[in-house]
Amino acid sequence: MTSTTGNTPAAPATAAETPAVAAAREDLAALRRQQAFAAADEAALDGLIAVRPPERRPRPDPVWDDAPVLVHEVVGERYRRLVLATDTIATTALAGQFLMITVPPAEGERILLPRPMAIHRRHPEQGTVEVIYGVAGRGTTALADVAVGESLLVTGPLGRGFEFPDAAEPDAALPTAAHPRPARTALMIGRGVGVCAIMGSVEDAARLGIAATVVLSGRSRANLIGPADCAELGARVIPVTDDDGSSALPALGGRLRGLFGSAPPDVILVCGAGVLARLAAELGAEWGVPVQVSLEAHMACGLGYCHGCAAPVATDPAVEGPLVCVDGPVFDAVLPGG
Amino acid sequence: MTIAPPRPTTDARRAFFDARPADSAAVDLSVRIGSLTLANPVMPASGCFGPSLGRLIPVAELGAVVTKTVFGTPRGGNAAHRLTEIRAGMVNSVGIPSRGAAGYLASQHPLYLALGVPVIVSVGGHRPGEYAPVVQGLRGAGDAYELNVSCPNLDRHGTDIGSDPDAIGTVVRLVRQETDKPLIVKLPVLVSSIADCAQAAEAAGADAVCVANSIPALPLTADTRSPVLGNVIGGLSGPNIRPIVLRLVWLAARAVDIPVIACGGIETADDALDYFSVGARAVQVGTASFGRPFAMVDITRALQERCLAAGAADIGELIELWRA
Ligand SMILES: Cc1cc2nc3c(=O)[nH]c(=O)nc-3n(C[C@H](O)[C@H](O)[C@H](O)COP(=O)(O)OP(=O)(O)OC[C@H]3O[C@@H](n4cnc5c(N)ncnc54)[C@H](O)[C@@H]3O)c2cc1C
Ligand SMILES: Cc1cc2nc3c(=O)[nH]c(=O)nc-3n(C[C@H](O)[C@H](O)[C@H](O)COP(=O)(O)O)c2cc1C
Ligand code: FES
Repeated sequence: MTSTTGNTPAAPATAAETPAVAAAREDLAALRRQQAFAAADEAALDGLIAVRPPERRPRPDPVWDDAPVLVHEVVGERYRRLVLATDTIATTALAGQFLMITVPPAEGERILLPRPMAIHRRHPEQGTVEVIYGVAGRGTTALADVAVGESLLVTGPLGRGFEFPDAAEPDAALPTAAHPRPARTALMIGRGVGVCAIMGSVEDAARLGIAATVVLSGRSRANLIGPADCAELGARVIPVTDDDGSSALPALGGRLRGLFGSAPPDVILVCGAGVLARLAAELGAEWGVPVQVSLEAHMACGLGYCHGCAAPVATDPAVEGPLVCVDGPVFDAVLPGG
Repeated sequence: MTIAPPRPTTDARRAFFDARPADSAAVDLSVRIGSLTLANPVMPASGCFGPSLGRLIPVAELGAVVTKTVFGTPRGGNAAHRLTEIRAGMVNSVGIPSRGAAGYLASQHPLYLALGVPVIVSVGGHRPGEYAPVVQGLRGAGDAYELNVSCPNLDRHGTDIGSDPDAIGTVVRLVRQETDKPLIVKLPVLVSSIADCAQAAEAAGADAVCVANSIPALPLTADTRSPVLGNVIGGLSGPNIRPIVLRLVWLAARAVDIPVIACGGIETADDALDYFSVGARAVQVGTASFGRPFAMVDITRALQERCLAAGAADIGELIELWRA
């Protein structure tokens, strides 16, 4: 959609450059890097996304709730963690489902649309859920001002989550991506706040005795989400970061091929970057295992009626394509022609 | 289809359902739209409601429901992003994906009927002649039709049908030949005279006008000043459009005898009462339902409570009491 000049360097500095001009030049360069990244991410999803076959388990009924904020704290350098008391949601939510969080009115700021946020952890015994978010724009900036003891209006659990394959089709001679064998091992890949979407599956894996390997990707070690959760849940963690180059696609791909080439996982779950979804789909094709990806889209209702959250799936122009909030956010990721 | 929780749980939604007020014979909130009587004057705005909202709120407490606009032939809808929020409000360019009249009848109408309140089917077209065939294709389904004329007229180089009184008259006359059911004409904001448009609808046989649709707008990203929306232009909605639409409702209500249904930025019973006080007879709630799914039901309950508290038999009397 956006044309990008990501590789064109900004105009060279001149001797007369003032600090303000230098700062503006740096901002522009950062913007171009970000644009190039966004364009690559969007292109990576092209042709990759397919609606998953019907769920085996019915989705829980969504509710709305006034959820008291029990904890609201800074985690790492970039994120915040919310613990919300919301009994029904904590008890019914499936792995990979999300909430719509209504940001309460604050001085000088009214946020109209609720913000979609993955359910990072479910604690049914305590009746609580955890959400981890990054401050991005107006809505999340205002959310960061909410104090412990206040309540947030939340709606959920919403959408279709991740599912472990647990039954091969009876007529399938050998397990394939389309007819997988029951999952005994899983590879999960999350980047940034995308880790939150897969953490419910790390919880499920721990419960079901599935051996989980979780790639946590982020800018730096201090910015990784999930190492403590994974340790608690007994999952093997592969931390990869931008600052040491380990998160770069060729490096990560090579490492995963080395680790799993002789004994591939039974399923790959991924969230947080289009390019990671594509890498996962490539690995899935090589290993003959299914790949599921959780996507984001701008949303208003979260319930499938506003038609605001079109999924990036090419369809007949006369037919409406799938919606991220009800047909996803978890989709199959299959290489085009694969 | 609920997964039974391992133990009983509580949530605010359940408490809200349980708090349904007793019907009060002392207050009459009903409103007539042509031959149709609604139990109360609160309903959703087209495109801001779907049967799935019935899982979150007691829809039976609303006066009616309004469907997303149905076009004659299937349409896919616009490219992402289809909506966003800026400081001024919500902006959407969903593009009205529609499965056509037949698709609506097959997959949507049964779900709307099951809600147990009158169903107003919103109908769209890109030429004045396209509305009547959609109504015909609906084969009598629906208790009333809302004609969404805030669509570019492909016969007139894309000027909105709803900004052209002649085109409005043509749409209503042609649809009137197909049905005796109540017709509501939903007018756009950008018109040279809302009074002329409302009168054209009334003269052609409409039973009500709805004022108004969202306001054309162009949201840009903060960093690159690129359009946020796939369609570049979208419709602004939400509380900030309320004073603009209040003026239009006031003008329209003075111009016609048929009821004016107000739609624009309504979030609370107070907002609804603002509109009633300038002549509206019913209200539609759009954007507010996204952030507060129960907003419409809250308004219905609060209108009844306000009348009861003031000893007013209806909303007209409540407004008279304030002004006495
Ligand atoms: C299913 C799902 C799960 C998500 N889970 C998380 C999570 O666990 N943690 C987290 O930090 N973020 C998550 N996000 C992204 C989060 O919703 C956005 O960061 C947030 O909406 C940005 O709002 P804002 O007002 O700060 O930004 P603004 O840019 O000011 O927002 C403007 C509008 O665009 C929408 N928008 C902007 N960016 C996004 C985006 N990336 N995704 C969806 N809508 C967007 C906003 O909701 C708003 O309507 C998730 C998104 C989806 C769809
Ligand atoms: C997501 C969205 C979809 C809409 N779809 C339609 C539609 O299909 N037909 C229509 O007549 N109006 C549509 N509208 C306009 C609303 O019905 C309403 O007129 C407008 O949003 C103003 O009311 P509000 O401020 O309460 O939202 C839509 C608005 C939104 C926000
Ligand atoms: S967010 Fe409304 S349809 Fe998906």
